[in-house]
Order: sequence, then structure tokens, then C-alpha cells
Amino acid sequence: MASSGSVKGFFRQRKNITKPKPKSSSSSSKKSPHHPATFGADVAQPAALISHGSPDLKDGYDEHEDVLRQFDMNMAYGPCLGMSRLARWERAHSLGLDPPKDVEGLLRSGKVRLDCLWDGRV
Amino acid sequence: MESMDIDPENHLQRKQSLYNSMDEKFEIQKEMYRGQQYSQIYFARLHMMRTLLYSLVPNWKPHLPVCTVLGLEEGKECIIVGTLYKQMKLKPSILDEYSKERSATPLVKPHNFMHPDDHLVLEDESGRVKLGGTMITPSVFVTGVVVALHGKETSAGYFLVQDVLDAGLPPQTELPLISGEDKYVVFVSGLSIGSSTCNPLQFQLLVDHITGHLGDEEEQGIAAKIVHVVIAGNSVEIPHGLLNGQNLASKDQSRLSEPIKELDILLTQVAAGLPLDIMPGPNDPANFALPQQPLNRCLFPGSSAYNTFRSCSNPHSFELDNISFLGTSGQNIDDLEKYSEAKDKLAFMERTLRWRHLAPTAPNTLGCYPFTDRDPFLIESCPHVYFAGNQEKYETRLLKGSEGQLVRLICIPKFCETGVAVVVSSCIFSACSKFLGLRTVLVNLKMKTPPTELQNRDLAHVYMHAHLCVYVYMCVCPYSS
Repeated sequence: MASSGSVKGFFRQRKNITKPKPKSSSSSSKKSPHHPATFGADVAQPAALISHGSPDLKDGYDEHEDVLRQFDMNMAYGPCLGMSRLARWERAHSLGLDPPKDVEGLLRSGKVRLDCLWDGRV
Repeated sequence: MESMDIDPENHLQRKQSLYNSMDEKFEIQKEMYRGQQYSQIYFARLHMMRTLLYSLVPNWKPHLPVCTVLGLEEGKECIIVGTLYKQMKLKPSILDEYSKERSATPLVKPHNFMHPDDHLVLEDESGRVKLGGTMITPSVFVTGVVVALHGKETSAGYFLVQDVLDAGLPPQTELPLISGEDKYVVFVSGLSIGSSTCNPLQFQLLVDHITGHLGDEEEQGIAAKIVHVVIAGNSVEIPHGLLNGQNLASKDQSRLSEPIKELDILLTQVAAGLPLDIMPGPNDPANFALPQQPLNRCLFPGSSAYNTFRSCSNPHSFELDNISFLGTSGQNIDDLEKYSEAKDKLAFMERTLRWRHLAPTAPNTLGCYPFTDRDPFLIESCPHVYFAGNQEKYETRLLKGSEGQLVRLICIPKFCETGVAVVVSSCIFSACSKFLGLRTVLVNLKMKTPPTELQNRDLAHVYMHAHLCVYVYMCVCPYSS
């Protein structure tokens, strides 16, 4: 069976926090810190991360990151932890698994996180 | 008085052969550790072997569907491919180290950890399933072997195995035609220089024989045919009492380096005469995890001055005159012996070739570097000579594959205990005929009454030199005439 397509059905969808943007100061009460290693850490009332004049709510998560996370979660290419995404893509390529080319393009562009989803969190 | 001048016509020349090292895949200098765990190497192994097994399944049972573990349906006969895991009751657990007190002696005494209750589980990325039935015996397999299984899932939830397919011997390049001159390769392992039981005169005797300082012209003629020497691990034995973490006194420091210095002196004598490969073993000053990296050349200031001296990795793969050799210092076979059983060590070696993996128990019970993109222990092409060092006794067999592969399996005994080195001859095809088997060559029996047990074996040389004995066995690689 394995997941040849998207794995969205498997894992609970992460809430897309870009959609409803809370505007008022109540949003500044529980901001996620920028470093993923502290995601979910019990830091009471961390200061809001203001970047370029507006609160940074995205935490580096956009549609590019979503594509890369799907690549991370895809079991066909092997475990993702402990390898950089590009190294994992290259391994999949050399083993003949035919990984998606757009993922390679994204990784080489340099604007995305090069480490896998769980890096630093596990 | 005889003249001591060297007569140029009678001057014996040592034969030479073309050496080609194939150890690149065992090097770890280029690897960078990024915190990965062993799941990566298991994935690489499963993927490579599964691709291979999928190509073999249509020739085996073409009518059956192939599915993954999660795709199993109850009662439906199918084929699944995955990595075996053996659940062993007696396998030592790391947690024992915390429950018991620390002592200098190792907690686990090496012996066999098998138990009648051991069972096998097959695993792939999607899941795992317990294996049952009588067609698959847990005592034969170990964790880490990738196989294809034909069977069906039962209502009890386990997979009833009806047939097993392993990858079989890898393809082998054709053995080159030798022009007819015999060339010999000497294998020795377990010198254990520095140990209290090692007799230094024994190795000196072997070195003298190899370098042609021993015997009359006929003996020297045989020694002149030796083109290569391979030392398969455990060349030194550092006194264990010194390595307990305490600061060393200055006299202890010299005791620590004595064995290596002694080895270097002996190896200089060999390297001065012919090419020499030295492999690290479990007791040598090299890294612990496989693939063991070559011993540092700084340890051998005398021998490394010669370009004939080669420090090699363990496992070691090389070609001599296009005959391929592959072997280890014995850790892989010894580990198989702890977790499975077979008639003899050669049977373990045969299994590793049929499973196409040098060390299937790595990284489970055998230390291994966590490679991410490949598994360097996969055997891609079948060697002509396959050896394992540091075994209890000398054993050899000729193994035949289903596609005409022929492999000479050799167990190299521990030299410090047995005084036996193994000499492999390259002479194979004669122009007119080829037979399979061992050639018994009895050359120069210098003993008055040879012991009867040796007469029945393939004994070549027996030297008696001031009541020290070095028995050198000859086995033909891989055919005889």
C-alpha cells in the first residue's frame, strides 16, 4: 500500500495559522518562539517576535515548507531524521526512487529550511 | 669451503602480481556524523536488497502477488520482502550494565545466546509481522538479513511461511586464465604479539620462510612464488591491565607500545621483501566499529617506509592478477556464531555470501558506523577467495553457486595458538582440464614421523626447526588439477 500520494490523510493536519490572523493584543499572549526546538516548550508568556514591524506568526511555515514536510514524511524515501533534506533527496535519487524534482529545486534555492521537520525537536 | 658468491644464473627472483585495492567503500573519512541513527543504514540495506529480490521473485514464484507487510490479507498467499528481526530471550541488554556493578571483566561472556523460544519477525517500512511455521528456522537466521518469504497470514495474526528465498551468491567475474605459473598468497591472523602465550620465534620462523631465508633451493623456490602476504587482524595484544583509565607510569607507557614496536620490526623484514597488507582486528589499536579503518602508519615507522607496506581496512577487498579476494578479521563470523548456529564456521561464511551481506548482525550486535546513504557491507560481486581471520582452526571449502560461481572459503586460524598460516595458490586452469577440489601437495616433509592426523589432510610443508613447528597448509584457489 504505502503512501504513493500525499500523507495528509495519515497525520493530523497542522492548523494553518496563516488564515485567521488575530489582530488584537490578545494575539501577543501566546506567540510561538522562532526556534523550532522550543516549540511547545513551557515558556510562560514569551515576548512577541516582531519582525519587520509585524508579529512573526508563521514560524517559517509556508506552502514551500509544506511541500518539504510532505517529502520528509513520505516513507518511500526512508527515514528523515538525522539527515539534511538535500542529502536525503540525493540518496533517494541515487537509489533510483525518483524523488520529485520541485523539491530539489526548493532545497537548492536556499530559502527554505534545509533540515528535516523533526531536526532538533526529537 | 664452498664459495659464498651469489651465482647470477641461480639467483631466484620473486614473482610479482598486479594488485588492485577495492577498499574505497569501507573508508569513512568522507562521512560526517550528523546525529543520525541506524535506521538510515537499515533503509539503505532494505532498499538495495529488496530491489534485488523483486527481480529474483518472478523466476522463483511468478504466479504469486508481492505485497508489503501492511498489505497482508488473511488467508491470501503472497510474497513479502523485508528485514528479519530475531527476538532472542537471552540476548544481552544494555540495561544490564545499569543493574549490575561495574567491573573490569566484561559482563557478557561470549557464548551462544540462542534459546528454543527465539522467533523471527519480518519488518519493512510499513510494519512488522511475526513469522511462524516450520519452513523457517530461527536458529539459521539473524537480525538484519533481508529475505523474500512466500506464505500467508493466519487468523492468529502471524505469517505462516511456506518458502524462503535469499538473494543467493552474487554474480562473479570470470576467473582469468593463468599462464601456468603458480603464485602464492600467504594469509595469517591472530599473531597476538605481546600476549603472554605468544611465542615470538614462531612468527620469526614464518617470516624467515616467506623471505626465503630458510631451507634449501627447493624451499627457496617455493618461497619465491609467494607474491603477497595478508595479515588478517589481531596482530598485537596490548596488556589489558594498563587500559583501565588510570594514568600510566612511564614504565607502563613503554609496556604499552612494546607489542607494536615488536610487530613493526617483524613486518619490516617482510615488507622489505614483498607486498604486505595488514588489516586491523578486534584487539588492534584501531576503531571499534566496522568498517575498521586502516591502522595508522605512524604505528609502523619501520615498515611504512617501504611502498610494499599497505595498511588496509577491515573488511578488506582486493584483486591480485584479477583474482578477487574479500575477507574480514573474523568479527562478522564470530558474531554470527553467537546468535545462530551452523555445522561449522564455513557454513556461516557461506550464509553471508548467500545473503549477500558481509555482516548482517551489524549494527544490531556488531558495532557499525551509521552510514546514511549506503550499506558498504553488501556484497555486489562474488569474490574468488573469501576469508575470515582469527578462527579456531584452519578450514576450507569450495563453494559452488547456481550460476557457475566458484568461491574458495577459508578460515584462517589464530597463529599464536595454532602456528598455522594459510597459503593460497593461484594456479587454476591448466590448458587441458579443470577439476574441482583440493590439491594435496606434499613438499618436503622434514619430520621423521609425521602425525597421522596431518597425513590425511592437505598438508604441504612441515618444518621442524629446533623443536618449533610451523605448519603451512596449502589450498588451491579455487580449482585444482
